[in-house]
Amino acid sequence: MADSGSVPARRCGSGSVSSVSMDTISALTELEDLENIYQQLCSEEKEVEAELDRLVGQESTIHTKMLALQRMGPKLQLIEGDASQLSGMITFTCSLAENVSRKVRQLDLAKTRLYNVIQRADDILDLKFCTDGVQTALRNEDYEQAAAHIHRYLSLDQSVIELSRQGEESSSVDASLVLLQEAEQKLKVIVSEKLDEAVAAVDLAQVERFFKIFPLLGLHQQGLARFGQYLCTQLAAKAEENLILATGGDVGDKRAPLIFADTLTLLLEGIARVIETHQPIVETYYGPGHLYTLIRHLQEECDKQAQKIVDKFIQQRGYHNKFQIVQNSMLKTIPELDPVLTEVTIMNARAELYLRFLRRRILADFEVGDIQSITKEHQQNVEKLLKHCQLSRTMQELIGYYIPMEEYYMRESVNKAVTMDTYEKGQLTSSMVDDCFYIVKKCISRALSSSSIDCLCAMINHANSVLESDFREVLYNKLRQGFPATTLQDIQRGVSSAVSLMQSSLQQGKFNTLGIESTENAKTAFLNDCAKLFTQGTSSVEQAKIESCLSDLVNTSTKFKDLLQEGLTELNTTAIKPQVKPWISSFLSISHNIEEEEFNDYEANDPWVQQLIVNLEQLMCEFKVALSPVIYDTLTSLMTSLISIELEKTVLKCSFSRLGGLQFDKELRSLVAYLTTVTTWTIRDKFARLTQMATILNLERVTEILDYWGPNSGPLTWRLTPAEVRQVLALRIDFRSEDIKRLRL
Amino acid sequence: MSMEDYDYLFKIVLIGNAGVGKTCLVRRFTQGLFPPGQGATIGVDFMIKTVEIKGEKVKLQIWDTAGQERFRSITQSYYRSANALILTYDITCEDSFRCLPEWLREIEQYANNQVVTILVGENIRHNFFLLVISCALYVWSRNLILVLVGNKIDLADKREVHRQRAEDFAEAQSMLYLETSAKESDNVEKLFLDLACELIREAKQNKLDNNDTAPMPGEGKTISYLSCCNVN
Repeated sequence: MADSGSVPARRCGSGSVSSVSMDTISALTELEDLENIYQQLCSEEKEVEAELDRLVGQESTIHTKMLALQRMGPKLQLIEGDASQLSGMITFTCSLAENVSRKVRQLDLAKTRLYNVIQRADDILDLKFCTDGVQTALRNEDYEQAAAHIHRYLSLDQSVIELSRQGEESSSVDASLVLLQEAEQKLKVIVSEKLDEAVAAVDLAQVERFFKIFPLLGLHQQGLARFGQYLCTQLAAKAEENLILATGGDVGDKRAPLIFADTLTLLLEGIARVIETHQPIVETYYGPGHLYTLIRHLQEECDKQAQKIVDKFIQQRGYHNKFQIVQNSMLKTIPELDPVLTEVTIMNARAELYLRFLRRRILADFEVGDIQSITKEHQQNVEKLLKHCQLSRTMQELIGYYIPMEEYYMRESVNKAVTMDTYEKGQLTSSMVDDCFYIVKKCISRALSSSSIDCLCAMINHANSVLESDFREVLYNKLRQGFPATTLQDIQRGVSSAVSLMQSSLQQGKFNTLGIESTENAKTAFLNDCAKLFTQGTSSVEQAKIESCLSDLVNTSTKFKDLLQEGLTELNTTAIKPQVKPWISSFLSISHNIEEEEFNDYEANDPWVQQLIVNLEQLMCEFKVALSPVIYDTLTSLMTSLISIELEKTVLKCSFSRLGGLQFDKELRSLVAYLTTVTTWTIRDKFARLTQMATILNLERVTEILDYWGPNSGPLTWRLTPAEVRQVLALRIDFRSEDIKRLRL
Repeated sequence: MSMEDYDYLFKIVLIGNAGVGKTCLVRRFTQGLFPPGQGATIGVDFMIKTVEIKGEKVKLQIWDTAGQERFRSITQSYYRSANALILTYDITCEDSFRCLPEWLREIEQYANNQVVTILVGENIRHNFFLLVISCALYVWSRNLILVLVGNKIDLADKREVHRQRAEDFAEAQSMLYLETSAKESDNVEKLFLDLACELIREAKQNKLDNNDTAPMPGEGKTISYLSCCNVN
């Protein structure tokens, strides 16, 4: 035990001191143990020897290193001396640098002061020069030169001037200052007077000459106001002239109905031209951002003149009178609204165009200055000027009257078209459908031509209302009249009612093509038009407004589609069903419990299906001629559904032999083949149940059904429920009911 | 409709005298802003906000109209297609309250008078009864919700119209009534959310009614419902 403990102890000691103490050795008595210890000691001895050899081997390297160290000793002392010397030098350099830089700073200060002094001396010299220059310029009536001197004086630093006055030469500076101020006042008065004179004399060159001087004197606002005044008088004179010409009635007959729109156009174009020609002057001499002020002055005159034109328009065209008549709808005849409405929309379109032009110009002018400088305030000012100017307000009022009048015009015209409805033979629709849509389209286009989005939206809303309630009601009532409910039994009358109904449903058919396509196409077309018209002005909000209003129109067309569907369903139940039903129930009278002989007989003389096909052919022929293809297709679809449902009911009342089932299969195939030729889409789906019934009736044995049922059905999807399959199987007289019951479906 | 990202779409039109705060109400609700010094609205403004109510996404199309007389004819054209009208007045302005009956007359005239005239103008004939039913249904399906709103309750000390008076008036005209402040954001959220709830309730009611009367030939609502689904 003890020696097993000694092994790890030795390992820990890693051979430096023998871990086996003398005590342990003397305590040992067994030979084996002693030998073990001996072995252990021997190997330890070897290890120690090796260690010693290694250490002795290292002795020479250590010795060389020691020698090297001894040689380095004196060098270290040298380094220390060098270092302290370096530090001393650095300190010295540092203080030297500080000394130099202090002097440079002083020099710099002196230099700036010197510059200031020079500047001030220059200013004072300038002041003197200006004083002299102004005097001579004024004497020579060279106002531009004088203004340039004053401008120089005004741009001098006021504090500098103040300081100069405190200097030694204060008296002389004071004197020249007084002189300058006097000259400034004098020049201001002179320039104002001269400008007024030039304005009075309508001398454009002189007006422009003095107009250019104003900004030099720091009188930007005043200059623009005077100049604006001048331009306004020019405009007013021109506008007056035009208005007299317009009301004089001495114009070509062709333009006569639009004379006020033309006059307004002339006015607005005139102003636009004035702005166009004078913008460069304002920009050059007043700097960017001042066009707004000028336009504000011009707009006042524009408002005044536009108001005059509109007042004259209202008076001469009896605009308010017409509105009153419309409002009370006293007259059942439509007053002469058409030309007036057109004129109003043109006037509004012109005004919109003009205001858009102004906005573009003003904003561009602000942008030239500095894009960052277009502050919210600027934009608000522009909006305020353009949106709330009298011109806008006047136009809004005109449009406010226009909308009810246009709506009245539309409603009454539609009513008129409905009362004047004629039906031409050979034509699939009567006149009113086309007429009504022509009117509605015309009114909306006119509203669109006004360039006012709100006006357009309002008219779309009204058009929607007219179509959805008035026009739909007319069609609806027509449908109702086509169905005298008591006469449905009478086939003769049934056909005639169908014919009268055809006329009305045809009209809807036309609506289909015109209404649904046109509303959906028109929606995009309208949007395109709008995009074209309002490219500059349409924001996404306005686009959304139009889109929302148009989507209401599309909803209306869906309602018409529903009405058509409903009408056709009724047509089907009242006109087709009473005829088709007996043809199908005659199937009952043909026995399908037949043997070989009868089967062959049926082969030669068809008992039922050929007659049915002939009958259907005749019936549908009438409709095909009179109905538009879309409606005819829908109707045939309804009819085939009717046939399949009726036939199914009938078949379930019959009984079949094996050959009877085969016969039915043949009959069904020829019927489906025929119906496929008269309809444009596949009708097999509608006959799926019947085809499956024929398959069942055609089976050899009851159990054969399992070849088609469940996992064996393959691509076939059963439309019959298990119960129905049993029911059909039971129709076969040769199938035993126990077999059918036993079937696991 | 299933393709759109909402379950219901309602059109709400705000009307009332100029300066009663219609635009501010709309702005507060749609953008959370109260822009001071709001200028007069020109024509009609249009904003959209989608809210979620009991797990259903409701898209509110809010038409903010100009109160000034000269825009009246534009404003009127929107009454007919609106699901709800918010008639707004200013509690500090007696005039704006006194104009309310006039506004109601206008609503009556433009909202769905067409239907009424048809009902009256129709001759008695064989299927008159059916027609009356379908027209009545039509009126019902266009049932318009009216809300009266007294705005600017933050200016309580300048109040000119007493709450009781407005409440009585609203009740007599079977309108909902609410007092709001667009500035302090009082009741604004509630106004639109309550209205949305009411509109959903109404829409569900209509659907039920239409399903009940489905076999009735006339309006063919079920067909329209189905074809709507097919179209989209």
